[in-house]
Amino acid sequence: MIPELGNFALYIAFSFSLLLSVFPLIGLAKDNRRLMELAPNLTLGLFAFTLIAFLSLVYAFLTDDFTVLNVAQNSNTALPTHFKFAASFGSHEGSFLLWLLMQSGWAFAVAVWSKTLPAEMRTRVLMVLGWICVGFYAYIITVSNPFDRTLPYFPVDGKDLNPLLQDIGMIIHPPLLYMGYVGLSVCFAFAIAALLSGNLDSTWAKWSRPWTAAAWGFLTLGITIGSWWAYAELGWGGWWFWDPVENASFMPWLVATALLHSLAVSEKRNAFKSWTVFLAIAAFSLSLLGTFLVRSGVIVSVHAFATDPARGVFILILLAIVIGGSLLLYMLRASNIQSVGKFKMFSREAMLWGNNVFLVAATLIVLLGTLLPLVHKELGLGTISIGEPFFNQMFAIIILPFAMMLGVSPLVRWKQDKLNKFVKQPLIIVLASFVIAYAWIYLEFGDVKGAALLGVFLFNWIVLFTAVELKQTLAKVSFTKVPMSHFAMVVGHIGLAFVIAGVGLTSQYSTQRDVKMNIGDSADLDGYTFTFNKIRNIDGPNYEGWAADMTIYQGGQLEANLLAEKRYYPVQRNTMTEAAIDDGFFRDLYVSLGERLPDGAWALRVYVKPYVRWIWIGGILISLAGLFVIMDKRYRNRNKSVTEGALA
Amino acid sequence: MNKKILVTATPLLFFIVLLMFLLKGLFSDPKERDSALIGKSMPSFELPDLMNEKVIHSETTLKGEAVLLNVWGTWCITCKYELPYLTKLRQEYDVKIVGLYYDQNHAPEFGQYADIPSIRVEVVDMTNRLGNPYLYNILDLDRTLSLNLGVTGAPETFLIDKNGIVRAHHMGDVNERVWRDKLAPIWNEMN
Repeated sequence: MIPELGNFALYIAFSFSLLLSVFPLIGLAKDNRRLMELAPNLTLGLFAFTLIAFLSLVYAFLTDDFTVLNVAQNSNTALPTHFKFAASFGSHEGSFLLWLLMQSGWAFAVAVWSKTLPAEMRTRVLMVLGWICVGFYAYIITVSNPFDRTLPYFPVDGKDLNPLLQDIGMIIHPPLLYMGYVGLSVCFAFAIAALLSGNLDSTWAKWSRPWTAAAWGFLTLGITIGSWWAYAELGWGGWWFWDPVENASFMPWLVATALLHSLAVSEKRNAFKSWTVFLAIAAFSLSLLGTFLVRSGVIVSVHAFATDPARGVFILILLAIVIGGSLLLYMLRASNIQSVGKFKMFSREAMLWGNNVFLVAATLIVLLGTLLPLVHKELGLGTISIGEPFFNQMFAIIILPFAMMLGVSPLVRWKQDKLNKFVKQPLIIVLASFVIAYAWIYLEFGDVKGAALLGVFLFNWIVLFTAVELKQTLAKVSFTKVPMSHFAMVVGHIGLAFVIAGVGLTSQYSTQRDVKMNIGDSADLDGYTFTFNKIRNIDGPNYEGWAADMTIYQGGQLEANLLAEKRYYPVQRNTMTEAAIDDGFFRDLYVSLGERLPDGAWALRVYVKPYVRWIWIGGILISLAGLFVIMDKRYRNRNKSVTEGALA
Repeated sequence: MNKKILVTATPLLFFIVLLMFLLKGLFSDPKERDSALIGKSMPSFELPDLMNEKVIHSETTLKGEAVLLNVWGTWCITCKYELPYLTKLRQEYDVKIVGLYYDQNHAPEFGQYADIPSIRVEVVDMTNRLGNPYLYNILDLDRTLSLNLGVTGAPETFLIDKNGIVRAHHMGDVNERVWRDKLAPIWNEMN
């Protein structure tokens, strides 16, 4: 009964999206206010019924309703309750419903917080979101319905959720990532609405900036948690694999980062207008492209969902209409835009333009690396694979000028600045950064490696410049007067500095050892002594297995007690390595339990990973920047102007 | 027409080219490799027996007599349904069947290793229950042979003639219909 209700709600939501895409259009054409004002209410209906559908699916999972195909294939009575909840979006169909919930949620949020926008603009934005929804809802109803039944012959128990996905990271990672992907549709809608109206002044940039920052913040957090999940759950200590699906999330992030910076220029200086519109289209297009890559099976990946060509074709058509249509509109309208803001070679604008060039170049590198194998194969040149070395090398080249510029730009003035002002201070900072980096690495690790030196040098460079800039700002205005978006920049840049240092250090100084151990044996690694105390049976709710009890000493001092597990999930007949990690600000100790050898000993892998946590600390700081932008008074003041408007 | 349109059209053109590749990629059939494989010799290999790692099989062990090479694993659901029929083929038509066993979970790069003793127990247990069609099983732990054969999953079946030439490839389970319509004619021709 409940699944039918969910199914029905989904159809109603689809109807709402159809209405939302048509009525405002008629309203705009006939200049009919009442039709235009339907848009926010239709958005509410869209969201409410999608929520009902989503809750129905969650209910089916929580109550083990194996008459629903999706539940039978992705859940099991023995699965813990919180994972049953997560399983409701662990499959292709379920995750798409979550996607829709967020899509309609964002649309509803726009309807709620856009009351101060001119009625026509607001209607256009909601209408564009309605158009996107029509495509997505049609997709889920026709080829990807999560409420399909197994009736009349339903199984007594389900096939269980993929053990890899049975992790706390899985509960929070997809929702955050989707919030980011889908959130980018809002600034896309603003850009398309601005193109449609032909009115591309700085106001659309101001309106769409907090939305972009919010989506970008979610995307950042989603990627960060995904990386942490891979590290903790895949059992071999890696945190980024340049897997096509990771790339699919990284590309929109890079473009959205460029967009945030470019929006600042459009808003404050009225420059980069057509470029900013293009980035807004590109960011959402890339998140759609990513969806296609993951769900169509065109590219092989560990993340890939079960594939079905009908779905691939549907998403591709959707892609062609949404991206092709918006790029066509862009071609026709953007060619008439005149940028008015003038600036000189050495100015904040020029620096931000440089930022955009690097970020777009990075996006192209990732796009190339992800799609080249496909293009190569389709051209009949055979299969090739582009692996980590390509990406790592290209990013190592890009990061130096990018991060150097990032350090200086906040100090450079808008319009024009004097280059000779920027000689002495950067020289001192270069020197200081280098000396500190060298001393730091030499004292901690002894052996100074180039990539690590580069990472720490850039960390110092960014942190020192940020400190200088903050000091200058605080000399001019008091702490409470500094706009939140300024702190957003500070925290975002510091976050990136942490990521760069973490990557540089952990990639160079992580050590690992494969050891064969009997109970009572010890192994030394990088000054740590790992002792294998005992092995015991574990008996989980839907798994069984072994746990190795390890203690780790450093110079006689107890560092950690760890329990590394090897789990067997009988329903899926899958073995999982549950690594044990002792996390620390400066280093992680990581133990993963391998197989039992014929002579009774165990194969174990131990790691020492210095500074790996800085990568995620950095990611979290960067996502905070998104939050700070939204908190900026300039965007919050809206409510006040609403009341002012009502009084007037 | 103003000149700027040339610039603003670039993304659209780029996207159209990309779209063509994606469309082609969607329909490019991974089975294409089949035609390239059929009529060629078995790729060379040296792999241990599933039950006894001291016994090493190679492409020469397969020569001399026509064999049906069946790619399978105990983790594969469809393979279970296939076992009784393959056993019947062995008993009634005297088809020589060799298993190519691979373990789904063996991924050293992910820190996961196959537990061979327990695989042996599972295999014996399953073949006792459902029938044992195999003369012997080749253990392809690193999936090199499977990869060279273009195997995309389990079960898959190859017919190899007495000179070690691959004559047929079937993806999915072998059942009565598949045998009668697709494999039997080639098998009879080979013998």
